[in-house]
Amino acid sequence: MSSKPKKQDYEASAAEKTSASVAMADHKYFKEKYDPLLQQMRDESLTDRATDRLRGRANADTMQALTKPSYARAAGGADGGDMAQAYLGQLGIANTSGKEIQNTMQTNVLGTARGQAADASSGMAQASRLATSSALTRAKNKQAVADAKFTAVGQVAGAALAQGLDNMGSTGERDTGKTTPDGKPIMEKTQGGFFSPTNKEGQKVKGFKNRLAYSEFFS
Amino acid sequence: MISIGQLPPEYGGYSSQQNANALPSVQDPDKVYEAMTRQDYLDYQKNYRGFEDGLIDKAQNDTSLIDAARTDSANAMGLMSGVSDRNASRYGVELTPAQRQERRRSLARANTLGTSQSLGDARVAQQEANQRQLSDLINIGQGVNRSSLSQMGSAAADATQRKNAYDSAKAASKAQTYSTLGSLGSMAIMAMAF
Repeated sequence: MSSKPKKQDYEASAAEKTSASVAMADHKYFKEKYDPLLQQMRDESLTDRATDRLRGRANADTMQALTKPSYARAAGGADGGDMAQAYLGQLGIANTSGKEIQNTMQTNVLGTARGQAADASSGMAQASRLATSSALTRAKNKQAVADAKFTAVGQVAGAALAQGLDNMGSTGERDTGKTTPDGKPIMEKTQGGFFSPTNKEGQKVKGFKNRLAYSEFFS
Repeated sequence: MISIGQLPPEYGGYSSQQNANALPSVQDPDKVYEAMTRQDYLDYQKNYRGFEDGLIDKAQNDTSLIDAARTDSANAMGLMSGVSDRNASRYGVELTPAQRQERRRSLARANTLGTSQSLGDARVAQQEANQRQLSDLINIGQGVNRSSLSQMGSAAADATQRKNAYDSAKAASKAQTYSTLGSLGSMAIMAMAF
């Protein structure tokens, strides 16, 4: 006849005991180390810090791109509108991106707390896309074109002024058709005007062909 | 209420006097598991239930993007007007009254256009953000629901198995009793007859 069942025969094996001990230790470690971090993340996700950071960046981008001092824009006085549109566009993108980051963080926290999967990325990388929003690019391009126009006008005006002064500085000697008592021709000094220079013979240089020859551009 | 770490060693809880490098000794995993599960749920209720309710509410009613667009639009005009004024004064530009008026008009026009565009964009973005968050929350809820059903299914299967085992044991015991009685009865009859 068999003996009575013994309690020790029904005890867990060493492997089972160790497995339970490791599980217990890991659970305790998680509670001590990761749970407070998750709670910190929960609190962080309830603030608007991400949005504020992106708005700051958007503001800086807009101002950096569009508020370079420019006499042309100051004199024109009509650039505020483009800036306002770009500024609003940039802030809109910053708000949307900030909200997305906040929402992702919140669902990540909840997903982890509820034992579900969490998305590892916060989406902060979107900040890099802020600098190239269409409104800002459009306004920037508009300003660049306006600046280039102003510069081109300035260059043309400067070149015309320089050429005019050069023309005025040109001198020549013109034969008056008269002679001195000893038979020498009487020469008269001539000076160029602003719009047309004078050649060595004292004649005003007029006409495209003569001006081109006078300029010695192709020689 | 039992919490992890407070379990007395006789119930399988680990002792806090144990060496930090040694693994805690678990005498009764069943009790410890019960305490862990209970404590996890209590922690969730304390730390995340309000947060979760807030998120569900926000995913349905949040208008913060639209509100921010309104506030920004109201501020933009003054801000940009100031930038233009400063730029003009930096170069000593004196605008004629007609130019000033045109500048104001142009700024107001651009601001109005910018406002309607940014409000429109904000409405779309808000709807999308809310929708996405609600979907994420529903996914989480669905996952939790799936785990709960699986947990409950396992508990129900265990309970059924236990009940069946109990019924079988009861029937076996009854059969054993009848069989013993039968044996005793027949032995008695045989003893009296002979």
